[in-house]
Amino acid sequence: MDVGLNSGQLALRDSVRDVLRTECPAAITRQSMTDPERWRTVWKTVVDLGWTELAVPGAGDDDAFGLLDLTVVLEECGAAIAPIPLLSSVGLAAGALRAAGPAVADVLNDIGSGMVAALAVHPPGHRLPGVPTTLQQGRVQGNAVAVPGLPRAELVVTLASSPDGPVAAVVRVSDGVTVHETECTDPAQPVADVEIDAEPVAIAPVDLESAFARPLVAAAADLLGVAAAALDRSVAHAKTRHQFGKPIGAFQGIKHALADNYVALERARGLTYVAAARLDDPSTSPAAGWTAAALAKAAAAEAAVGCARTAVQVHGALAQTWEHDIHLYLRHAWQGASTLGDSRALYHAVGRRFTGGAA
Amino acid sequence: MTPLTAEYSAWLADFLPSDYYQRYREYRWDIDLRRAHQRAAFDAGWLQPTWSREHGGRELGLAEAMAIRLEAATRSAPKLPNIAGPGVAAPGIRQFGTAEQIDRLLVPLLRGDEWWALGMSEPEAGSDFAGLRTRAVRDGDIFRVKGRKIWTTQAHLSRWCTLYARTDPDAPKHRGISCLILDLESPGVTIEPIRMASISDETFCEVILDDVEIPVDNLLGPCNGGWQVAMSSLNHERQMIWIMNWVEIQRGLTSVRESRTTHDDYAAGEVFTELGSLLADAEALRATGYRALHNELDGRPSPEADILKLLGSQTLQRVWELAAAAAGPRCIDDTDLLFERQDALAASIYGGTSEIQRNIIAERLLGLPKG
Repeated sequence: MDVGLNSGQLALRDSVRDVLRTECPAAITRQSMTDPERWRTVWKTVVDLGWTELAVPGAGDDDAFGLLDLTVVLEECGAAIAPIPLLSSVGLAAGALRAAGPAVADVLNDIGSGMVAALAVHPPGHRLPGVPTTLQQGRVQGNAVAVPGLPRAELVVTLASSPDGPVAAVVRVSDGVTVHETECTDPAQPVADVEIDAEPVAIAPVDLESAFARPLVAAAADLLGVAAAALDRSVAHAKTRHQFGKPIGAFQGIKHALADNYVALERARGLTYVAAARLDDPSTSPAAGWTAAALAKAAAAEAAVGCARTAVQVHGALAQTWEHDIHLYLRHAWQGASTLGDSRALYHAVGRRFTGGAA
Repeated sequence: MTPLTAEYSAWLADFLPSDYYQRYREYRWDIDLRRAHQRAAFDAGWLQPTWSREHGGRELGLAEAMAIRLEAATRSAPKLPNIAGPGVAAPGIRQFGTAEQIDRLLVPLLRGDEWWALGMSEPEAGSDFAGLRTRAVRDGDIFRVKGRKIWTTQAHLSRWCTLYARTDPDAPKHRGISCLILDLESPGVTIEPIRMASISDETFCEVILDDVEIPVDNLLGPCNGGWQVAMSSLNHERQMIWIMNWVEIQRGLTSVRESRTTHDDYAAGEVFTELGSLLADAEALRATGYRALHNELDGRPSPEADILKLLGSQTLQRVWELAAAAAGPRCIDDTDLLFERQDALAASIYGGTSEIQRNIIAERLLGLPKG
């Protein structure tokens, strides 16, 4: 059972962390909540460094980057709450396309070279992702809500039902694609609703479980980073803030809450690395891959929201202010938690499968 | 499955009675079967897979050994009748024992011919183990021991006890403790079994030590080095505990699944969410256990190992509560289920309470100050 990072992945993690520390402090995230173009300079750096190339399948040799490598990068971007569409474009949109046939290879290459795509898979009125569009007479038609990163995207990836079974379809954000920008919980990662009635630029048949599995793991990785960073901030504060003559971290009320955060974080990390390793292994069945991915996403969202909420409590009144960073983590965690299925809905689906019911 | 785990599975299938799985509810209490299983596992080298052949192993690597343990768990292999022996005392003897101690004690322990008790808790020293008061005073080539141990599992059936006693009352409390190997047949030892609230056969005892003589040769580890012996032994125990928890969790999950065939209304779905969350816990335990192992093998720190005890015991308790909910009122007359629920509650107490586990995580891992 391959469950950990190798030394190459540990080195990758450190280098990504170093870049983000310099290029993307939390102040930039805060600015990008009010300045819709602020993300572009960070994105240019990220594209220049080749991180978006993780969208493209490796050449099949042993050195090829896999999902575990992408997981490492997304985890660090989540920890930095970087206001860039790496998760939405490379993790989610390209992740879904990786399950589709070779007809989408050019789109993957475009995403790999930095073109921004968004994944539209939330039909209105559903907690779990699904197939929000249909493919009829050569046109993709339908509505999706809460599409992560759509305001910054040039391409929309969606899933469509067709007489021949489900397909992954790619449309260009132009005529026939109406973007309805909405308010959002985390304005540093804007979402939008979309109405599609357009000719696709690419379609390919897809297995639905496989189409959701990689995006779920990518979303888990991002949330894992948020959880870890929020916990770090809480620990740092609990060591330095004194009340009643000692650091507040010496009180078990604080100490045990943070220990529980750590358990939630490592629980999610174990599940996420396992899921990534499973999906990198071609012998994994679509059902097993989906289950592993769903559990990872559910656990990571719980960890992120749990750590961010505890961070609010530990920081007290400070956490209620715009200028303090904690609300940035909380916003990111809450928004990510309800993307691609909230934790309860995902657990429900997995639990139901386990007892033999249809998902 | 690797050839090795296949070999183990075939061995186990061959050992077990043919109706073992049909009648598991009875066989799980069958001490004779459990004793026979321990002896056979010792002979075949599956008892302590990483150890040498003469000590019930086959010199496997840690990862292979874990695969064997999980396979044993998955196949509900009979539980060791005296876990304290092979699980805690044996690693301690192997690590700290003299050649004579190892030679005299290890094989009868591993074969299950001589049982062991752990003399740690006292009426006034539970979580604060280092505050123990049992005194051992050196007198020539013996120690004279006076004191009282409690919650000493299976002492009434055991021949030996790893007895922790204060040998230097003037040293700081962690540095004045020694571990002595006590022959429970010694004069001055009184053992009183304590009736358990559940049908558990892991009976607690009170052990009263009234001027008991223990030869100095029976020191396990250095004099006043008992804290290190205890910590190292508990570390071995912790590595076993999560696998034991995982086994019980798997059985609980199966119990929930089986309730579906008798209770349609649970298909309304309320059970599924908690079930999914518990499936995540079970998988996370296994993943974390393996991740910690790989880090250890690669010579990296493995801080994640510290979550195993806490997560394992919490999950175990939740899974049996869900099993009870899923069974509906049928759980009331199910005394096996009652036992599972009671036994699960012990898991957050033995081997270091959940509160102590949280302190360990917060202080050692997160670096928060001591209270």
